[in-house]
Amino acid sequence: MGEPKIPVDLIMQKLAEDSEKVYKSAQKASEVLLGPLDTQIATTPYEVVYEEDRIKVKHYKPKTGVKLKTPLLLVYALINRETMLDLQPGRSAIQNFLDEGVEIYMIDWGYPTRKDRYLTIDDHVNGYINNVIDFIRKRHSLPKINLMGICMGGSFSVMYTALHPEKIKNLITTVTPTNFDTDTGLLHIWMKSIDVDQMVDTLGNLPADMMNFGFLLLNPARLMIDKYVGFLQNVNNKNFVENFIRMEKWIFDSPDVPGETFRQFINDLYKKNLLIQNKMELGGRRIDLKKITMPLFNIYGKFDHLVPPEACERITKAVGSRDTEDVCLDTGHIGIYVSSKVQKEFAPRIARWLKERDKPEKESPGRKKPVANRTDVKTKAAVSSPKKGKKKSST
Amino acid sequence: MSENKKEDLYPESLMSFWMKSATELWKSTYQTWSSASESFQPKGFESKFQKSWQLTPEMWQSFVSALSAPESVKAFFKGMDILPEVVSQTLQSGWGGYSHLQKEWLEKAARIGKRTEAYKFEDLDKDLFKALTEVYENEFRQFLNIPQIGLTRFYQERTGQTMDRLNLYKIAVSEFMNLLSLPMEKSGKAMSEKLEELTARGELSENFEEYYSMWIKKLEGHYMVLFKSPEYIQGLNNVLNTGQKFFLARNRLLEDILQFFPVVTNKDMDELYKEIYLLKKEVKQLSKKVADLK
Repeated sequence: MGEPKIPVDLIMQKLAEDSEKVYKSAQKASEVLLGPLDTQIATTPYEVVYEEDRIKVKHYKPKTGVKLKTPLLLVYALINRETMLDLQPGRSAIQNFLDEGVEIYMIDWGYPTRKDRYLTIDDHVNGYINNVIDFIRKRHSLPKINLMGICMGGSFSVMYTALHPEKIKNLITTVTPTNFDTDTGLLHIWMKSIDVDQMVDTLGNLPADMMNFGFLLLNPARLMIDKYVGFLQNVNNKNFVENFIRMEKWIFDSPDVPGETFRQFINDLYKKNLLIQNKMELGGRRIDLKKITMPLFNIYGKFDHLVPPEACERITKAVGSRDTEDVCLDTGHIGIYVSSKVQKEFAPRIARWLKERDKPEKESPGRKKPVANRTDVKTKAAVSSPKKGKKKSST
Repeated sequence: MSENKKEDLYPESLMSFWMKSATELWKSTYQTWSSASESFQPKGFESKFQKSWQLTPEMWQSFVSALSAPESVKAFFKGMDILPEVVSQTLQSGWGGYSHLQKEWLEKAARIGKRTEAYKFEDLDKDLFKALTEVYENEFRQFLNIPQIGLTRFYQERTGQTMDRLNLYKIAVSEFMNLLSLPMEKSGKAMSEKLEELTARGELSENFEEYYSMWIKKLEGHYMVLFKSPEYIQGLNNVLNTGQKFFLARNRLLEDILQFFPVVTNKDMDELYKEIYLLKKEVKQLSKKVADLK
């Protein structure tokens, strides 16, 4: 008699063993879930130093002393919350920057309500971001500050810097879409075909729940099934459960997106790809990427399914600066911020790059410059001296 | 049977006999009630109710005498003859639509059990939903779009529009959900084929996690292919468009209802927000100009 094709006895034995394991696991799981769990996020202490409408600016000061003269302003996206940058001790980009002696300011975009539906990209960029930067410059008596944008916040940062290069010392873009002419990511395929005008006219702001569901639909097998199967498999592990709950808290803590901002973002960027072509306009002013002449550090993820490398890598060639650097990390869209492995490299690398470019500016923001026409501002201070032949790309 | 007795059995004569009897009955009822009410009413007092009630038998009598005329009775029964035809036409249109749908369902059922090709979605069951939409648009939609009349015609129209858009939205959602379920179906079939293969080779593992990993990879692959397909994008657009049209129609209807309550609507608030937004912008610009002048 040969080997049975279906090893029923082995399957039954495995079932019995697994049942025993499941029972023990369930016991431990109930202890974990019913016991005290530390699921707090954004625990690094900060002070709110500026408020305007729904936005706040958080200020983080390094306890070990400030090692960079120029503070860094972080501009997060309007989608999801900036708390991802401070998810938990050991996985906090904010804490890592502070450990490197970088003084941080971060914009908290708040939760838009129906009242905010008419706010445009211009209101965010030339309004809120500009006011915050002016506030920080005045506070530190500096003509320029460092600016770092994340995802959509990076797109805003690029737009801002092109329009106000005289206020930015160094620009960092992380997982930032600047080129939308690609079909690599599903978002790029879907956004090109939706009727955003009808959507905004009907809904006002883009509802957070709708966006969350849309993001889940990008990979339902992994995000709606496998993720929770993994959770159940590890539910008896307190550390795992705490980390999982923190991520869940962050990922579903989504604000609505102001309608007019969403409309313009989809029409001008996803559909017409105006930014990288230097054809985008904000408040009647054209954005010319060649006006970005200060050092630019561009970081993106190789396995980013939301903002694929094709959407990020063209910016360094499109700007006027000669001091640019591309870094492609072996991670996904949020892995750059939440992966403990990448965390060890990410913030220290940026801090090092900033330290190398932290020479003080000669002028203070108090000096008035006569400005005839805002569309063609040319001042000596606005043009930094780029290092020749320093465009480099690395992974 | 005499000629007279035969005539007595005709519907028309039965009708006039019935009407005469009914008139007599109500007349006697009224007279009884009137005499009874006189006993507990003060003399000379006649209530408003009694006055209007007095009109009723008189009206009934004039109606009966008009309807008792042989021509009127004939016309009434002619109208009754058409009723079965109307009912049968309505049933026919509904049945025609249903049998069309049933045909599609049977064809779909016949496709179940056929071997599935991995990662291919050419034979999507879009025809079923197309048929559903066609049936709805051709057979039922017309009833919701009948022109409305009267003082409340606009409200009636908007109600009909909302119902119409809701139905289209429901069809689009069903189609979209069906699309989303296709990878589940395909990966399930692919897994069962794989298991058959493994069983035939005697390579079945007792570790369930392996099968789960296999299945989830297949599922993920199928979803990736589906999401890039034009059918999915069309389905997504359809559900978004029909949904938005339904929400707009529903909001308009709700605003109609809310106008009778002291409750502010989204439309009112949006107008206010727009004004506030423009005013704030102007104030900020003026403040900046003043600051520059200083």
